[in-house]
Amino acid sequence: MSSEAIARKVVEPALPAFGGGEPPDRPAGLSQPLVTNARLALLMLIAAETMFFSGLIGAFIVFRVASQAWPPPFQPRLPVGVTAVNTVILLLSGFSAHLALRAVRAGKSALLVKRLSITVALGTVFLCVQGYEWLRLIRYGLKLSSGVYGATFYTLIGCHGAHVLGAALWLLIVLAQARKGRFTEHDYAGVQLCGMYWTFVVALWPILYGLVYLY
Amino acid sequence: MKRRMRIYGVLIGLAPVLLHRMAHACAVCLNGAGGERLTDAFNWSVLFLMAMPYTILFSVIGFFFYSYRRAAKKARGETEKGTPLHLAWIHKESGR
Repeated sequence: MSSEAIARKVVEPALPAFGGGEPPDRPAGLSQPLVTNARLALLMLIAAETMFFSGLIGAFIVFRVASQAWPPPFQPRLPVGVTAVNTVILLLSGFSAHLALRAVRAGKSALLVKRLSITVALGTVFLCVQGYEWLRLIRYGLKLSSGVYGATFYTLIGCHGAHVLGAALWLLIVLAQARKGRFTEHDYAGVQLCGMYWTFVVALWPILYGLVYLY
Repeated sequence: MKRRMRIYGVLIGLAPVLLHRMAHACAVCLNGAGGERLTDAFNWSVLFLMAMPYTILFSVIGFFFYSYRRAAKKARGETEKGTPLHLAWIHKESGR
């Protein structure tokens, strides 16, 4: 063996089978983590939020089941019809968020921006209608200080409204990033996480609506 | 200082036993007569709050299981699709 061949053998690492060179990338799948750290963190946050709302719902159940008459006498009735329409609007926003995720997975950036814009618009409409209804209820005399009826209503629905507002702001940030072309079909964690949180606030609302407005 | 802290700790620990009359107004007392509105209300609330952590836990486990199944399916699909690529690479690198 020549000295050149010996030197090459020492310097170069052992070649892989079948002719050498770098092996191809390992196929994606079980070799990668099932859930990314960001998704896991958001999952934990959603679990904590669920327990937070469970506590509020638990308190509501105590007051609701224990009371003789609900709503109590001389208290305004809640706007069931308008809020039902508002519920449909929020559910539609959840559906458009899902479609936005599908668009980014397919690599359609323009469609992603369009669907995210629809989601933000529907979320804003929901918040505006809620705010308008709140103003009307306050005018009719339903306040936080007007007994457990007002207190439970504003606490539960207000907490949900604050969450929708936060999620809508997050959606706006994601929308701004999408406009700049930040997301691709391989890198869309921002859209995915925001979509997960939006789905949570959307899925929570029908439960609260049924409990507070219809029960 | 340490001894004083220990005495305070023991006194605080014994407080619910020594001053049990003050602890009579238990918010989740289930000894009330069945059928009373307030007792029923507390019962339903306690049941709901008791069920929620398990619901969340099983939902998270379900999500992990779904993710695992999805990743396994994806891996199977890519292996099947990836075979010709592997062969092409072997063929190219072997120089035959």
